[in-house]
Amino acid sequence: MSKGLQLENVSVSFETTRALEDVTLHLEQGEAVALVGLSGAGKTTLLHTCNAMVAPSAGRVLINGQDLSKLSASALKIARMNIGFIHQDLSLVPNLRVIQNVVSGRLGQRSLIGAARDLLFPADDVTERVYNILTSVGIAEKIYKRTDHLSGGQQQRVAIARALFQEPQFFLADEPISSVDPVRAESTIALLTTLCAERNITLLMSLHNLKLATTFFPRLVALRDGGIAFDKATDTVLPSELEAIFDLTESSPVSEEVSDFEDRLGGRFG
Amino acid sequence: MAGLAEATASSGKRRWILIAIAASGIWASVSLNLDPALLVPGEGGLAVLSEFFSYALSPATTYQSIVPEGTTPLAVQALLAAWHTVQFAAAAMGLSLIGGITLGFLSSYSLMIETRRGITRVIGGAVYSVARLTITLMRSIHELLWAVLFLAAFGISQLGAVIALALPCVGILAKIFSELIDETPRHAAHAAEAAGASPIQIYCFVLAPQALPNILAYSFYRFECALRSSAVLGFFGYPTLGFYIAASFENLYYGEVWVYLYTLFLLVAAVDLWSGAIRKRLALTR
Repeated sequence: MSKGLQLENVSVSFETTRALEDVTLHLEQGEAVALVGLSGAGKTTLLHTCNAMVAPSAGRVLINGQDLSKLSASALKIARMNIGFIHQDLSLVPNLRVIQNVVSGRLGQRSLIGAARDLLFPADDVTERVYNILTSVGIAEKIYKRTDHLSGGQQQRVAIARALFQEPQFFLADEPISSVDPVRAESTIALLTTLCAERNITLLMSLHNLKLATTFFPRLVALRDGGIAFDKATDTVLPSELEAIFDLTESSPVSEEVSDFEDRLGGRFG
Repeated sequence: MAGLAEATASSGKRRWILIAIAASGIWASVSLNLDPALLVPGEGGLAVLSEFFSYALSPATTYQSIVPEGTTPLAVQALLAAWHTVQFAAAAMGLSLIGGITLGFLSSYSLMIETRRGITRVIGGAVYSVARLTITLMRSIHELLWAVLFLAAFGISQLGAVIALALPCVGILAKIFSELIDETPRHAAHAAEAAGASPIQIYCFVLAPQALPNILAYSFYRFECALRSSAVLGFFGYPTLGFYIAASFENLYYGEVWVYLYTLFLLVAAVDLWSGAIRKRLALTR
């Protein structure tokens, strides 16, 4: 069984819109890859296909060699526990304490009673694990604070801690620095890449900020209009290639429709 | 231009809706013969009114009639009646919370249908419909109507009274609880689903906590309603404030009536202060 994350000729259509077009991508276990491209190029859709929140209309997504679309509901649940996802909007429960948000990362691994215990009366070893994870993201002293009493940057770290608590093999991050200032953005990316490297976690992160992408990631995948424009080692990417990606005149009207699609995706529970 | 025409058309529609609401209000008032002139009391009525309200400023300190030696003093009697009022309301509220949470689960769209796939979605939908129907039936009969029914069936029974108070309250709480949770933003739920959480886990540990401050506030409001209904139960002979209000009113002892009314007012105000303090602690903002 091959390790890592594979997308084979993945296309995603939404009604009449093509969000992704024939994307093939392979990430080795432990690799860190930045996904760059304009808004609406398909970055979020691509990330959502990797944990089956969006089903490809063509092609396959394989996690450790398992085709996500072929999994039963319970097998998919197990596969998802193995994938930490850091969402653009952080997706924390604002009126719970930090520790409660962090333990909710492993709801999938717990029974109903076990989950209730984790949230209300966590065992000492659980508290200790949360404390250690919060130490590694630098906000250990906030463990019993209410999450909405924290700053944006601190909440970011809670979201990272929650994903780490899952002990996943994969980390997917969708613009994780969209809500913090530039200084914190850099330290957050540094933290995420270091944590993943230490734990041999495969990291796929979408980023607007090209400078951070080239500084912290050895490999860049650029998306344009739903397709891969290039997929290269960072130090071999030519400035002209980057310009082509971010040249606004080259973008097609697809971008608006895709971001509309992503809006609907976020609200699909509603 | 098409957008503007559409917006103008919708504002025209809104005007007609407002006119229709006003017209139906006027029609109802006319057909019910709601003549403001009828509100002017007759001479006798005016005398009763002014006597009743004159006691508002000087409520009785002792019974207004001669009572036998050893009768419970008026103030103590009022406190005892208040205590019984709280007892009935609290017992009913306890039952209502258990029933309301249970039926709230079953009538929640986000738990029974939204997160379900395949056959569980069909089963969930069926359970949802039955639960919704049940809570609507419970709500459509007023607690005092239930009380009359139970009185006929069981005679004066404290359990019957508590159940009568609880039945519509269960229906209302179940409706409000499920709707508050269903209206919760879904970001965190989405994230939990992506991390492998089950529908019931998402419901209990992600959606419900976000709705909790509103759920608590509403439960306190229902407790207030239960107190009022519990007091009125006294009219049927239960030892709550209503019993003494009715007795004193029939004897035209308005001074005593005001003592009991003020006691009820203080009870409701106390619940309000209590709930305010708790809500402040749980407020979503800093």
